[in-house]
Order: sequence, then structure tokens, then C-alpha cells
Amino acid sequence: MLQMDGVQKIYRTDLVQTYALRSLSLRVAEGEFVAVTGPSGSGKTTFLNIAGLLETFEAGSYRLDGEDVSKLSDHARSRLRNVKIGFIFQSFNLIPDLNVYDNVDVPLRYRGMAGSERKRRITEALERVGLASRHQHLPSQLSGGQQQRVAIARALAGSPRILLADEPTGNLDSLMAREVMNMLEEINTQGTTIVMVTHDPELARRVHRNIHVMDGQVSDLDQRLAA
Amino acid sequence: MEIRPILSALRHNMTGALLIATQVALTLAIISNSASVIRDRLAVAQRDSGIDAESRIITQRPILFSQIDLANLIQTDLDALRAIPGVESVTITNQVPMGRSGWSSTFATERVPTAPSQSAGLYFDGGRLLETFGLKIVEGRGFRDDEIVNIDPKVQNPPPNGVLLTRRLAEALFPGQSQFVGRIFYQGNSPDAEEMRIVGVIERFTTPWAQTGPDNEYAVVFPARYLNPFNHYVVRAAPGAEAEVRKAMEAALEKNEPGRVSVGQYSVQEMRDRRYRGERALAWLLVSVTVFLLGVTASGIVGMASLWVNLRRKQIGVRRALGATRGDIVRYFLTENLLITSAGIAIGVLAAWGLNGVLMSELSVPRLPLDYLLVGVLLMLLLGVIAVLGPALRAAQLSPALATRSV
Repeated sequence: MLQMDGVQKIYRTDLVQTYALRSLSLRVAEGEFVAVTGPSGSGKTTFLNIAGLLETFEAGSYRLDGEDVSKLSDHARSRLRNVKIGFIFQSFNLIPDLNVYDNVDVPLRYRGMAGSERKRRITEALERVGLASRHQHLPSQLSGGQQQRVAIARALAGSPRILLADEPTGNLDSLMAREVMNMLEEINTQGTTIVMVTHDPELARRVHRNIHVMDGQVSDLDQRLAA
Repeated sequence: MEIRPILSALRHNMTGALLIATQVALTLAIISNSASVIRDRLAVAQRDSGIDAESRIITQRPILFSQIDLANLIQTDLDALRAIPGVESVTITNQVPMGRSGWSSTFATERVPTAPSQSAGLYFDGGRLLETFGLKIVEGRGFRDDEIVNIDPKVQNPPPNGVLLTRRLAEALFPGQSQFVGRIFYQGNSPDAEEMRIVGVIERFTTPWAQTGPDNEYAVVFPARYLNPFNHYVVRAAPGAEAEVRKAMEAALEKNEPGRVSVGQYSVQEMRDRRYRGERALAWLLVSVTVFLLGVTASGIVGMASLWVNLRRKQIGVRRALGATRGDIVRYFLTENLLITSAGIAIGVLAAWGLNGVLMSELSVPRLPLDYLLVGVLLMLLLGVIAVLGPALRAAQLSPALATRSV
């Protein structure tokens, strides 16, 4: 599903250049639930940005769902993100001026889907996360856990091939965090590949495989499911 | 199109949107009315005076000191002017078109004090006035040389009976008629008003005041030289001879009666320029106000759109992360602005009509033409698109990676 070989990412300013990723190589198989762990500044978020086609990279290769994405145009990357990738962010990143329904609708509109199809998918996704009755609420009227469930619904509505989660429980209390984690596990069991960046060792233990990133490289691979 | 979600989002950010919409509305109301007034003023300034080749008609007004034989002095002056090389025709008259001061009188078709009357400019044709000004007769004839009489104000001899008048005045005096030669009218509407008979109708001849209304073409021409010291000599110069004729005119008059004072030598074109200076100044003032307002509105839109882009950097990153292309982001801001501008335009159209109503009743400006309003609407839409394009393109350049940044 996701295959990176020797990916290198450098952030440059006038004075310094920082290697965020140094020849990072890894593979995530279809249907896997992988946790990417590592200390702050190790390159986890950079890895997630590249994996999610949010940033480009200087060297190496990256194949997503069998497609070489190294040389895609910005437009093609946007389209690919929209169709194949679902994002769940630490701070939920819901659009504050839109209600729950419209928030879930955002990626579907960019796909140019018909209204009836969008409605079906939004309703289905909100039912799946248990928030169908709150579809007219604004994000500010929801708890943190509910907002993250809306974000999950938004990610799921587009039926992505892979779900990228950036510290999805980082802003939640333990009860809410467990609830969200349970939801992700359920999504994974239904076939969606999930890559989750996390600090939380407890969460990392619940997934199929851990990828530990240190100084922009994979330092330790949990091979439990790698084979 | 994302119209419903954008409207929904705007409902939660009403203040900025309302400010821009109000600005657009006011700008539309003011610029469409300004444009209409500008057009009206410029059209007034460019009206046909009925005079052919205005720049070649030179007028000079010497004060005639000789009080002994004014009729003879005038005749010798005319002969001297006619002898100047490059002069095609010469006349003497009591006033000049667009000269801003002159004689007027009231005219009626009945000698009844309650009868309607028209005020009109009163010209004296001291011979060859039609030829010198290049006026067109549309009915009847002009005066023959033997019809021109001298009127001495000290003697109070009656004005001549046969006169010329302009078509506009004839139509006003005899509504619904198309033939005017031979008709009788009166100078005034009192029981002893002087009777006049129409011998010819001039297509068009503007008054000294060149009023803004149709009465700017209300004029009556008497076949007479009025023997007072303040007449205007008028010459028609041949094409290209204007400068030489002007110099020679001064010299000829000075030679004929040395030491006389001239109160000005102007071409009719210069008279026109002086008469309509106010109209042109108003038009330029309104053009400046229009440009300023458009600039302020464009700046307002740019400022507000830039602020919104800055405030929504994270949101734009999230949208990009969720699959929005750069074009989608540009479209979002353009659509948002279009909705705000359209709301402003809707209010602005009503405001423009309202303002026009006030201006029509208070300042007699013309009714706002629909095409001016339409052009104003298109201009505001275009202005909105152009103004928001810069901020929208900047927004489209924001990285989708902003979605994963904590600040």
C-alpha cells in the first residue's frame, strides 16, 4: 500500500539546512494498522506529510497504492489525496464556520460527487461515528471527542484506501482517547490501512506494528506483521 | 459550486462581509449616478450650436467712442474688416452665442396677458449674420441686405416686422405645427405688444447663455443694426487664416478709430470653452470621485480578503489536505467575494435608483439610464474579481502541510 525507499527531506533557510528525513525506507501493507513513534523532532510529522502528499521530498522514491507519486503535479497530488487518503489530525481541524454535515461534505465536494451520493455517504459516515443526530451542530458546540469523531467521519466518507492519523488522541482525555482508538481499530478491521503517528506507547502497543523514527530514519521495525 | 457552505460560513462572519457589501452598494450607487451626470454634462458641453466651423468665427467687441455718426463708423468698420485677406464674411450683432451675456425678450402668439409666452435670445443681424455664422435656414429665407435697418435707441424707432427664429422656438410657440413662415407672433403678450412675422426658420442657433434645457435654442433674429457703442463684430475666417485674420482685425479697427478699447477677441470655439468650463470641471471632479471610490472599494476588498486569507491559513491548509486543488482555493475565494459583491450590488441598484430620484428632484439631473446601471453592476463584479484575485492566488500557494502544524 505504502512503499518509501531512501526518502530524504531537507528544510532550507538562508542560513541552515535541516535534514528532516534521511534516507527513510519503509513499507506498509494493505490492511495494516501501523504506529509511527519517535521523540519530538525525529521526523514523524514530516514522514506523515510526505506519506499524505502534503509535502514533496528531495530524494528517494514513494509508491502509494502501487503508483509512483514522486513526480506528480500539485494538481494530481491533490486529486490523489482526495480519493485515496483520509486524514485525522491531532487538533481535529474541523472548519469552525461549517456545521458537522458540511464539514464531512468538504472532501466530497472537491471530488465533484453528485449531491445525492454525497448525502448518502455523509449520513452513513456520521451514523458510523454515532453523530448523525448532531449533523447541524457547529464544531464549537461539540466536545473534543465528538469533534474527533466528526473528523473520522470526514476521513471515512470518501472511502479512502489509507487513513493517516496524526496524534489522533493527543487532545483528548483518556476515556475519549480510548473511544477514538476503538473506532480506528474497527475501521481497520473493515479493511482500511491506517498509519498513526503517536507519542503514546499504550496506543502504539495496540496496533499491528510499530515503526520507530529517530533522526529522520527508521530505527527499529516491529516485524510482527511485516512478513 | 460551494455556494451553500460559503453562505453558511459567511453567516458566522457577517461584519466583514456586511462592510464590503455596503461599500460596494454605495460605490455602485454613486458611480452609476456620477457616470450619468458626467455623460449629461459632457453632452451639454458638446451640443451643436448651429454654427458651422466655430473656431473660424472670430468676434471682437470694441467700444465705439465716436458718438457723432455711429452708423457711418460701423459701416466703415465692416468695410475695413471685409477687406482683410482671408475674411470670408463679416457681420455686426448685439451679442454672440455662448458669450454668457446678452439680450432676451418674451414672445407670445396672442396679445393676451394670460397667454403663454417664451423667453428667447434676441439677436440683431447687421447684415450677413447667417452667412458669417454658417447658420442653416430650414424654411423660408434669410434677410436681404435692403431689409437691414438701423435702430437708434435715442429715437425709439420700432423694430422691424419680419424676423427669423429658430425651429425650437417656432415649435414652442406653435405646438404641433410644421410650417411657420408667414405666421404672426408678438414681442410680449401685452395688448400693445409689437407684431412680428416669420420670414425664415433657422435650424439651430444657440443663445448667449446656452442654457442646459431646450430653451438654449430659443432665439429671434431682427434685421437691424442697433446703434449703440457695444456691438460685436464677427468675421468668418478662411480655413487656416484664423491667426492672421485675428491680428489684422485688431489693426483694422484701431486704424479706423484710433484709441478705442477692445473688450476681447474670441473665436466661438473659445466662447464655447469658456461657457462650458464649469460642466467640464464638474465632469472631471466626478471622474476623480469615481476613480477614488473604485480604488477605495478595491482596497477594501483586497484588505478584507487578505485578512480572511491570513485568518484562515490553517483552514486553507486543511482544505488542501482534504483534496482541494489550488484552483479550488481560488474558486472558493472568488465565489465568496462574488456572493458578497452580488449582495452589495443588489442593495446598490436600489440605492442608485433612490439617489437618482433625489438628484432628479433636487438638482434636475437626468433619469439614470438602465445601461449605466448595468455597466456599473458589471464594473463592480469585475472590480470584485480583480481585487480578490491577488489574495486568492496567495491563498492557493499555501502548503497543505499547514494542516499538520500546530500553529
